[in-house]
Amino acid sequence: MSQEIVRVENLNLSYKSLHAVCNVSFSVKEGEILAVIGQNGSGKTSSVECVEGLRKPDGGLVRVFGKDPWICRSEVYKEMGVQLQESEYPPKIRVEEQCRLFAGFYERPADWNLLLKQMGLDEKRKRQVSKLSGGEKQRLSILLSLIGRPKLLVLDELTTGLDPEVRQNILVSFEKIRKDGVAMIMVSHYLDEVEALADKILYLEKGKQRFYGTKRGFREYVKSRIPREEWEENCSLEKLYLMIAPKTAGLTMEGIY
Amino acid sequence: MKGFLAICKVELRLFIRDFFGFFFALVFPVMMLLLFGSIFGNEPVYEGADIRQMDISVPAYSVMVIGVTGLMSLPLTLSGYKEKKIYKRFDATPAGKKRVMLAQVFVNFIMTLVGILILLIVGRVLYRIRIKGAFLPVFISIMISIAAMFSMGFLFTAVGKDLKSTSLFCYFFYFVMLFLSGATVPDMLFSDTIRKISAFLPMTYAVDLVQGVFAGDSLGTYGTELLVLGIMTAACTVIGAVLYRKKDWT
Repeated sequence: MSQEIVRVENLNLSYKSLHAVCNVSFSVKEGEILAVIGQNGSGKTSSVECVEGLRKPDGGLVRVFGKDPWICRSEVYKEMGVQLQESEYPPKIRVEEQCRLFAGFYERPADWNLLLKQMGLDEKRKRQVSKLSGGEKQRLSILLSLIGRPKLLVLDELTTGLDPEVRQNILVSFEKIRKDGVAMIMVSHYLDEVEALADKILYLEKGKQRFYGTKRGFREYVKSRIPREEWEENCSLEKLYLMIAPKTAGLTMEGIY
Repeated sequence: MKGFLAICKVELRLFIRDFFGFFFALVFPVMMLLLFGSIFGNEPVYEGADIRQMDISVPAYSVMVIGVTGLMSLPLTLSGYKEKKIYKRFDATPAGKKRVMLAQVFVNFIMTLVGILILLIVGRVLYRIRIKGAFLPVFISIMISIAAMFSMGFLFTAVGKDLKSTSLFCYFFYFVMLFLSGATVPDMLFSDTIRKISAFLPMTYAVDLVQGVFAGDSLGTYGTELLVLGIMTAACTVIGAVLYRKKDWT
């Protein structure tokens, strides 16, 4: 039986008067991928940052490898790799220095020279991180999340900024990583990658948990929320999501010209 | 410990790579020494005096080095890392931001000692400067001055809302103290008004202490200076730590 890696119960988090996360609960087991989806500002990043021990929840229970990540952060990070939504690195640090530095934090780090090659960053190893392109920085961020051979990966917008070929390779690689028993929490706006990778979905709307369960369960949930005539059999997860996601006004030509 | 040393190594490289820190902590004080040495020479400070101009200039420039690292390099590094959320990235590793901050303090401390050592070597080789004070009191006077200036810099970071406002505090106080504390311009050239202003600047007490102890005075002669610098260190560290904790790191 797969071991439970992450347990979150009734998570609550506020920023002053804004209740960003309300009573969110989920769990992730070994080798399982949980996708966290929802609009901008729905509390996805806030929720995963509580799992990462970067934010202190106002209420609820968060356990990673059975420990409170806020209190036992350095212990938890020995087995957890994180790719933040936005990562900045020390000014003027070079790619290889950043990799060597992070590798130095772990007992048994991955071969970062090999990872640099696999991520297509080998030629940029002497370049300052600040001078990398957006996609290269994203690849470095993914590489650094893997450097400690984690048993849990928390990936906040994994493939944002990557070109289609690299994106495809990354998705295939993460499927292999999952088969090695690594658990993952991925925050994503790309429903195709959620469909390809995720076992379970956590859907948030304005900080509230609207759905948590399997992909099949999510389809049933959408079906229950929209009129029968609007729903098509076998339509993509993205199309289903768009049917229930809160609508934004959108730009009009009058507004621009 | 392994992680700490790895961070120190990288931070040391980044310090050297950064023109500002490297130039103002290691090169500029030597340039000042050479410039003022060529203008004033190395004559006795007054007729018949046993102490020569360079014997008091080198300790004063040593305090200038402490000012560069403590009031500029360290607070601007801390503030920059915080504003750009670089500490957050380190917090998402087993190292954590505290270890990174500690390494940054350590690296600035080491570079301060290196800067002072370079000054002493250049002063000794070119001007045959003499240090009459014993090693221990000289070392203690430097350590206390470092503690006071570093804690003041830490307070600037804690008070500053962002890198911009921290920079404003750092530049303002550093340059005011640089010119009005006796670290560059000898205090014997000050008018009465400037002397009164100078008495309010912590760096003045560091300059007086270090110059006096280098000249062979005992630490006990500088009770007021030690008290002021000690209170500065304690107050800035405590207030800084309280304000720093309140900042949003994420």
